[in-house]
Formats: sequence, structure tokens, C-alpha cells
Amino acid sequence: MSNQFEFPQKEFPMESPLTSDQSRGIRSKPRPVASWREHHGWSAAASLRRLMSRPVGTLLTVAVMAIALALPLTFYLLLGNLQKMGDALGQNQTISLFLQPGQSVSSADMLAKKLRERGEVAGVKVKSPDQGMDELAKMQGFSGALHTLDVNPLPFVLEVQPKADVSADSVDKLVTEMRGMSGVDQVQDGGTWRQRLEALLGVGQRVVLILAALLAVAVLLVVGNTVRVDIASRHEEIGVLMLVGASRAFVRRPYLYAGIWYGLFAGVLAVGFAVLVEWSLAEPVQRLGQVYAGKLAIDVLPVWLLAAVPVAAALLGWLGARLVSAWQLRKAA
Amino acid sequence: MIRFDQVSKRYEGGHEALSQLSFEVATGEMAFVTGHSGAGKSTLLKLLGLIERPSHGIVTLDGQNLAKIGRAGIPKLRRRLGMVFQDHRLLMDRTIFANVELPLMIGGMAPAERSKRVRAALEKVGLLSYERQLPATLSAGEQQRVGIARAIVAKPTLLIADEPTGNLDPTLAVEIMGLFAEFQSVGTTVLIASHDLPLIKRMKKRVIVLDHGRLVADVAAQEVL
Repeated sequence: MSNQFEFPQKEFPMESPLTSDQSRGIRSKPRPVASWREHHGWSAAASLRRLMSRPVGTLLTVAVMAIALALPLTFYLLLGNLQKMGDALGQNQTISLFLQPGQSVSSADMLAKKLRERGEVAGVKVKSPDQGMDELAKMQGFSGALHTLDVNPLPFVLEVQPKADVSADSVDKLVTEMRGMSGVDQVQDGGTWRQRLEALLGVGQRVVLILAALLAVAVLLVVGNTVRVDIASRHEEIGVLMLVGASRAFVRRPYLYAGIWYGLFAGVLAVGFAVLVEWSLAEPVQRLGQVYAGKLAIDVLPVWLLAAVPVAAALLGWLGARLVSAWQLRKAA
Repeated sequence: MIRFDQVSKRYEGGHEALSQLSFEVATGEMAFVTGHSGAGKSTLLKLLGLIERPSHGIVTLDGQNLAKIGRAGIPKLRRRLGMVFQDHRLLMDRTIFANVELPLMIGGMAPAERSKRVRAALEKVGLLSYERQLPATLSAGEQQRVGIARAIVAKPTLLIADEPTGNLDPTLAVEIMGLFAEFQSVGTTVLIASHDLPLIKRMKKRVIVLDHGRLVADVAAQEVL
């Protein structure tokens, strides 16, 4: 017998923890909850260590997932701001009613009064032909031409300002109604663009939803594939674990945590991207606001959304890992 | 402890690895299963760990019909067994300690008790001073001893080993077999598949001889010459 390895009998006492018969078997005291918690902690830490041990690969996976998550978030941000811009510009929307020539002051006032009583209308300003002429005269290049006229050809104009909270549809209905009013020659509505914008935003919202769903699937696939490769590369380890009596839940646990970590990191990174986009947009939007209504500031993403993205991403990561590992371990068994 | 009753195993493709095999191994007994390669030794052991299931017949372990254990029950069964493999199946990226600790961790034992048991098992195979090392730094014989420590750390009532000395030189092989005999002496039932006849003869234990999946001889320990 070689001297590096001997079996002296005294190293084999009957009361040693290995041979005492009353403690045969693994569970001397059943402690399912404690051991379950312990293994969760171990799995979370071990999977994190594994991710950190190959930082480049982990970073690439996380970055791909983060971009997929940041895209719908960014679109949502843009959409919200366009909406707000549309609303702000809507406040400046005026509808000009050109009355038929030859209408009297009283009939113009009466029409104005009738319009003021409507719920959708914030205010009506009556412009007489003389006022119109004065405005025109102030514009450069017109004064000379106007002097050659004998009669004032301008009609009465009512400038109707709809209330800010009235939808583009109701404004549109009002305009149609006004076109049919007696004494009205022409109605000029600057608001059709607003209607178009709103319709466009509706399409945009739908697009964002579809995009978010598609990219969530992409995140699921990225996590799933990463975990699949991970499991495949640890095929032998899994075999050993199963041979020494590990349940599937036990074997699966570190991979599920890996999925959760991937999702969580990607979610946090995506929120970072979105906040960056927010910052870079804040200044130009403000400038735009100054040009227009003067009360336009960037509409930031709500805090609940920023908090929900990493949580949702972690759930997606877990789900991806769960689906793949169930399939993969069935093959292994 | 172990009872095979008219057990046959036919693999997909028609190869019959075991054919109407019947034998019993008593609790606390140590037996060798031998035969030429392909005689069905490994298959026999695989049926005990439910790595394979028989095509016909009944395998009983500790009075329990293994056919009644479903897929979900397999981990629990394996925790009652200690299995040693020819290629020792260690996790190469974990320390010796962590490898031996594995069955206890799976079983949900408290860390303090685990540590005590792992040290006792490593001490028994003479590798306590290696506990912080990775398996790759150990020799083949030492790795096999780690595999044995892992198999016995949970104090199984049955220890099964598939060619545990297959990759070892004769001196190391004798040492490993001596180790198995030690476990039998403290009450563990031991079943070892091996084709190393000279070594088996030297051990003076019961020998079950298979040929093409059939039992051709069953030699009691005292009759081994």
C-alpha cells in the first residue's frame, strides 16, 4: 500500500458523523423552508457570479435587450410630447368667420352673441371692415394700394376661439355648423391639421403598443437563447446534479436567476437610455415652445413607468429562462 | 436490500442488455458484478438508480418496487443511493469541498452540519487537506476518491459503483476497493461492477457473473478462491 493513502482504523471511529447509525440519511432535521431559502440565495449569487465571470458576453446580451426595451419607451416619450404639443397649439386655434358683404354691425354682434353662448366656444371677437382695413394698412406694401379703393371691400369677420379642452372632432362639427349659418360667407378653420395630428397620434399609439409587444418577444427570445446556450454548455454539470439526486427545480434555479438578472440589468439600462433621450430632447422642445405658445416644456416619462420597466424586464427574463430550461431539462432527463 | 425478479432490459434497436435476471443482495452485503464488457453490468446498476428502466421484471430496493416511482420521485430515490462512476463525474469548476457537499446541499442540510459531514467524508478517503483545491489539480486516483466521498457523504444505505477502478493502476485500485470494504464493515450495502477479475478474487466477496445479460454464476464470498 502506498504511503500517501492509508486506512488506519482509528480514523474510522464508529461515532464519527459519517458512521453513527442514528443519523443515517441526509435530513437529520427536516428544514425545507430554510434550505429552500438558502438555495435561492445561493442560486441568485452563483448566477450573478457566472454572469460577471464573462463580462463582455453579459454586457452584449444586456445591451441588446436594453435597446429592445428602450425603443418603445422612447417612442412613447415622443408620442406623449407630440400630443402635448398638439394640445398646446390647439389653444391658439382660431376660426375665422367671414360674413357676407353688406351685413350690419348689429347682425354681426348678434351672430357673435349666439356663438358665445355655445359650450365649445371660449370667445368671439368681432372685427369690423374698418378694423380689417387698418390691419391691412399696417402691413407693409398694402397702404398705397388701399388708398386707391373708394369703398371698403372687407366684410365683418368673427374670430372664434374654441375652448382648449374641446376635441378636434367637436371643433370640426362646430365649423360645419357655422358654414350653414345665415349671413356667413366663408369659414376658415386652421384646425384641420390638428385633427390630422390627432389621428396620426392614434396610429402612433397603436404602433407603440405593437412595437412594445414585438420587442418584449424579442427580449424573451434573447434571454431564452442565452440561457439555452448556458444550459447546453453546462450539460455535464446538470447530468451530475441529476445523478446525485437534484430535482429539476434545483437544477433550474440558477438559470432562472440568470434570466432575472439579465432582465433587471437590461431594464435599468433601458431606463437610462430613455432618460438620456429625455435630456437631449428637453432643450429643443423648449425652444419650440418659445416659438409657439410659450408654455411648452418636455413631457417626461412618469416615474411609475421608469420603475415598472426593470420589474417587467426581470419578469420577462425569468419567463424566457423558465420556458427554455423546462424544454432543455426535459431533453437532459 | 436489492431484489431483481426476472428482469430484462432491451434497448431501442433490439439489443438485449439483460435477460430474465434474478438475484438478491442482502442488507449489509458486498457483492461484485462481473463479466466481459457488454455483459450488462452497467445496465444492472443503471436500473437501481433509475437511470434506465427495465423492459420486463421487477426491481425492488429496500422493499420498494422501483417501477412505482414516477419521474418526480427519481431525485428522492437517488438521494438514498451513493453512486460512484468510472469517470467520477466531478464538477471541475468547483472545489473538492463543494463537490462532496453537493448531495447534502441538494438534501437541504444546514451549512454547519454539511461542513462537518464533508470533512468527515474527505478524511475517510484521505483527502481532507485538498478540500480547497479544484479536481483538475488531483491525480486520477484522488479524483476517484473524491467521487467516493461524494457518494458516501449522505450516508446512503446502498453504495453502487460502476468500474470504480477502471482508470487506475493496480495499486490504487486495491486501495479504492479496500475503501469500499470499509464501508461495508460499517453496515452499508455495496454493489460494484468490475471486470478486473484478479482484483475481485483478492477481495473475497460475493461475485455475480453475467454473460450476454444472463446470470451464469453466483459465487458466495467464502467460495471465492
